Amino acid sequence: MTVAASGGLVLHRLKKIEIVIHAEDRSLVEDLLAAAKVGGWTMIRDVAGLGHGGFHQGKTIFNDRSGLVMFVGVAEEQAIAEVARGLARLFETRAGVTFLSDVEVMRSDYFAKVA
Amino acid sequence: MNMLSPMTAVDPILSRTEVAGLVALAARTVPPLWPLESAIAVNPLAGFEELPFHEAVAAAASRFGARQALPLAQWRALLKAGRVDEAALRRAAITRLGGLETAFANAGPDLTRVDLLMARLMHLPEPQVEAHTTQPSPAAAFLAKWCTAFFDQGQAASPMPDRELGLYRAVLALAPHDPDFRNLAGKAGRQLMLAVPRDPLEAIAEGLVAAEVEAGAEEAYLARFVAQLPGWAGHIRWRTENADPEYAAGAPATMADLLALWMLLDRAGAVPPPAQAAAAPDAGADLAAHFGLADVPWSKAFREVSAIEPAVLGHIFMEAAEINVRDAISAHLQKATLSPPQAARPDAQVVFCIDVRSEPFRRALEAQGNFATLGYAGFFGLPIALHRHGAARRNRMLPVLLAPQYDVTEAPAPGREAEARAWADAQARARRAAGLFGSAKQGAATAFATAEATGPFAGLAMAARTVAPRLARRIAAAFAPPRPEALAPQLHGEKPVFTLEEKAGYAAAMIRLTGLPLPTARLVVLAGHGGCAVNNPYAAALDCGACGGHAGGTNARILAAILNEGQVRATLLEQGLAIAEDSVFIAAEHNTTTDEMTLFDRASVPASHAQDLARLEAALAKAGQANRERRAQLLGRTADDLLTGAAHWGEVRPEWGLSGNAAFIVGERWLTEDLDLDGRAFLHSYDWRQDEDGSALTTILTAPMVVAQWINCQYLFSTLDNERYGSGDKTTQNVVGGIGVVQGNGGDLKVGLPRQSLFHDDGTPFHVPQRLITFVHAPIARVEAVVAANDILGRLFGKGWVHLVVIDPETGKARQWRRDDELAAN
Repeated sequence: MTVAASGGLVLHRLKKIEIVIHAEDRSLVEDLLAAAKVGGWTMIRDVAGLGHGGFHQGKTIFNDRSGLVMFVGVAEEQAIAEVARGLARLFETRAGVTFLSDVEVMRSDYFAKVA
Repeated sequence: MNMLSPMTAVDPILSRTEVAGLVALAARTVPPLWPLESAIAVNPLAGFEELPFHEAVAAAASRFGARQALPLAQWRALLKAGRVDEAALRRAAITRLGGLETAFANAGPDLTRVDLLMARLMHLPEPQVEAHTTQPSPAAAFLAKWCTAFFDQGQAASPMPDRELGLYRAVLALAPHDPDFRNLAGKAGRQLMLAVPRDPLEAIAEGLVAAEVEAGAEEAYLARFVAQLPGWAGHIRWRTENADPEYAAGAPATMADLLALWMLLDRAGAVPPPAQAAAAPDAGADLAAHFGLADVPWSKAFREVSAIEPAVLGHIFMEAAEINVRDAISAHLQKATLSPPQAARPDAQVVFCIDVRSEPFRRALEAQGNFATLGYAGFFGLPIALHRHGAARRNRMLPVLLAPQYDVTEAPAPGREAEARAWADAQARARRAAGLFGSAKQGAATAFATAEATGPFAGLAMAARTVAPRLARRIAAAFAPPRPEALAPQLHGEKPVFTLEEKAGYAAAMIRLTGLPLPTARLVVLAGHGGCAVNNPYAAALDCGACGGHAGGTNARILAAILNEGQVRATLLEQGLAIAEDSVFIAAEHNTTTDEMTLFDRASVPASHAQDLARLEAALAKAGQANRERRAQLLGRTADDLLTGAAHWGEVRPEWGLSGNAAFIVGERWLTEDLDLDGRAFLHSYDWRQDEDGSALTTILTAPMVVAQWINCQYLFSTLDNERYGSGDKTTQNVVGGIGVVQGNGGDLKVGLPRQSLFHDDGTPFHVPQRLITFVHAPIARVEAVVAANDILGRLFGKGWVHLVVIDPETGKARQWRRDDELAAN
C-alpha cells in the first residue's frame, strides 16, 4: 500500500470498486465481497439511471428488491482485483456495471481485511 | 511431497471469489424457504423467472424431476365440474395452433387440426411418460440427514456437536464415524475426507477440476446439486439472506458449505449421474383409431398435432381457465367503468387486506348496510418488526420484499397492567412446564417414568380435544386473559418509535395508495387478518403474507393509533388530506378460519361513537355468519363445523386458504361490488385520478402484486406437482428441527403446500392451477409508463408469468398486455 502525504495529511492509496446491479442480485455481490475478504462496503439503494435497458426507475416504497443498488467498496488492490474477477463471472449472466478507480483514504485501518 | 493419490491432489483453476459468484448464481435455482413459524408463499420457480413461463416450467421440470402440467385426467375432472369451460378450451386450442386459419386447415377426411387437438384434450388417453422417482438418492438422503441434525432449533435431545465450525466442517468432523458415509463413499471418500480443503470455496474449486467440468458449465453443474435438496438449500438461502443474524449464530452455514459436501461425495463417486427424461410416445395411433383413420395416410397436419407433447395439452387447459377468468372479469369491468356511482359518505369505511379471502367477507359486509370497504396491503405499509412480550426472537411484520426499519415492543395496555402480568406469568409457567416435560420425555432415564406419570392426564386432554375441542379451548382460555386486551404495541416510550413526519408519511401512504375517499366516515376500521388452526405445522400459511406469515392485527392497531393522533391529522391536512374531525379509527382482525372479527382497543372509542360501533359490530357478525356459510359449502361441511375445525387437533383442512386465487384487481371498489368474485381475487383499491405521476400504481404493481404473484405461483406449482413443488399428504408429514416438515421419517424439507390445501379428499383439485391475471383501472399510457420503468414488471408481463389487462377509465375499453414472444411474432 502506497502512503502519500499532502499538506501534512497522511493519505493511503487504495482501490475503489463501484458496482451497480439489480437490487434482487444484491446478495450475489455481498457474497463476492465477503469471499474476497473486503472488510466493509457501502450500499446505496434506489439508484436511478439510463442504461442499455432504458431508464431504470429508482424509488419504490414497498419493495427493497426492485430497482438498482450501488455498492462502493475500498480495499487493497489485490482484494479489489479478486472482486472484479468474480464480477466478470456474474456479468456473464446478470446485468450490471462496475467501475474501478484509485482512491486515497485517511484511515487505512478502516479498510483492512476481515480475519 | 504429496503422499496422497492423484485423485485427491488437484490444482484449482477458479479463485475463491469466482467460486463464490458461481455458488451464489447456482443458489438461485431454489427460492428461500421460510421456517414454519413464519411460512410465506414463494414461487418455487423464482430462479427461472428470467425465462418465458413455459420454457421455465420445462427447465425446472428437468432440473427438479417434476411434472410440467397437471395430468389430463385432473383437467378433465375440472372441465366436468364446470371449473373450465369447453368453449374457452377450444379458443385456447385455436390460439395454440396459430390462429383460425391454421386451426381450421384440413388435417384429414372432414377433420381440421382443432378437431384433432380437441380430441386429444377431451378424450384420448394421455401418453404416459416414465415418471421421475420421488425418492432421494442415497447421497441426497445422507446430506439431508446431516442437515437435519445441523439445523435443528432445539427439538433434538442431543444437539449436534461442532456446529460452530459451520455446516461443511462440522460434517467433515463427524462423517468419518458415520457408517452411512463409509457405505456411500468407500475408501475414496475416507481419503478425500482427509485431503479436501477445509475452506468450502476452495473445496468446490478443487471439485470442479476433479470432475473435469468445462469452463462455462460450472454454474449448471453446481445448480444440479442445489436442486437435489431444494428444501434444505432453500432453508440455507433463508438463513443467509432473510433471517436475523442471531438466528444463525453458533451454527453458520452457507450454500458453499452444502455444495462443498456435494462435491466431496461427487469426487468419491457417490452421486449418480442425472437421469435423462424420456420422450413421450407419439399419440398418432390413438388419434387415428379415435377417428377411424387406421388405413388413411397421416397428413403433415395430423402428425403435427399427434406429436404435441402431453405437457402442452395441460398448458392449453390452463390457458382456457385463464380465458374464463379474464373474460368474465373484463366484461364486467368494462361495463361498470362507464357508470360510476354518486359519492356519498358511508357509515363506516373498513380497510381490509388485499388477500383473496377478504373479498367475499367484504361483499357480505357491504350487504348489511351503508358500509364501504377498501383493500390495502395487510401490513398497512408499516416496515416493522415486533418484539412480542416473552418471545425470544422478534417477528418481522412486513412483506419479505422489505427489511424492517422499526422495532416495536409489546407492553401492557394502559390500565391493563395486572392482566398483562397474569398473562405473562401464565405463559412463563406453560413454557417451564413444556420444557420440563420435554426434557423428561427425552431423557434416557426418565422417558418411561414420564410416560407412566403423565399418560393418564395426556389421555384425558387428548380425549377432550378430540370429543369437545371447542370446550377444551374455552377451558384453556379461561386460565389466561386474551393477549390483545392485555398487551398492545408500544409507540410512545422513552424513545418514540416514529417521528411525527414518519407517522404522517405512513398515514398518507395508505390514503394515497388506496384513494381512500375523503372526508372519511365516522368510523374507519383497519382490519388485518389471521387464520386459526391447532396442531397444524402450516398454521402460519393461513396468516397474512404481507405481515411475513403472521396475523396482521398489530400493524392495524399501530396505524389506527397513528391516524387518531391530532398532530398527525394536522400534518395530513397541510398536505391536502382531510380526515374528518368526527372520524375515529379502530383496528380489527379478521379470523379467516372462523370469520369472526376481533376489534382492538374498543375502550379508546369515544362514547359519541358507541352506537356507530354497535351497528358496525352487528353488521360484522352477520357478515361473518354469511361468509362462514358460504365457505362451509365449499368445504362440504356445516358452518358450525368450521368453528369446531378451528379448535380440533385432528383437523387437516381448517379452511381453503388462498386456493382458487386467479386475479389481482387494481381499482375502486364500485367497479367490482356487483360482481361475485368467489374469493378468487386480490383487490387493491386505487383511484387513478389521485395518482397523476403513477407513483401509487408503481408501488401497487411492484410490491403487493409481486407478493400476489408469489402466492399464485406457489398454489399453481404445488397443485401441478404436489410431490415436488408441494409437500404431499399432511397425514404422513413430520416436523423436523422446528423449521419444516419432511415426508415420513426423513429426507429433504418439503417446500410448498400440502395436498389437503389444494385437493378434495377424492383427489380432484379444488385449486385450478392458473396464472395471475392483473386488471388495472387506469389510463393505458400511465400503465405503459409504469411497466416500462420497472424491470420486474416488464419481466412478469413480458415473459408470461402474469397477464395484464388494462381498463381505460375514459373509454371503458380493455386492452391486454402482449407478451414479448407475441410482439416478436409480429
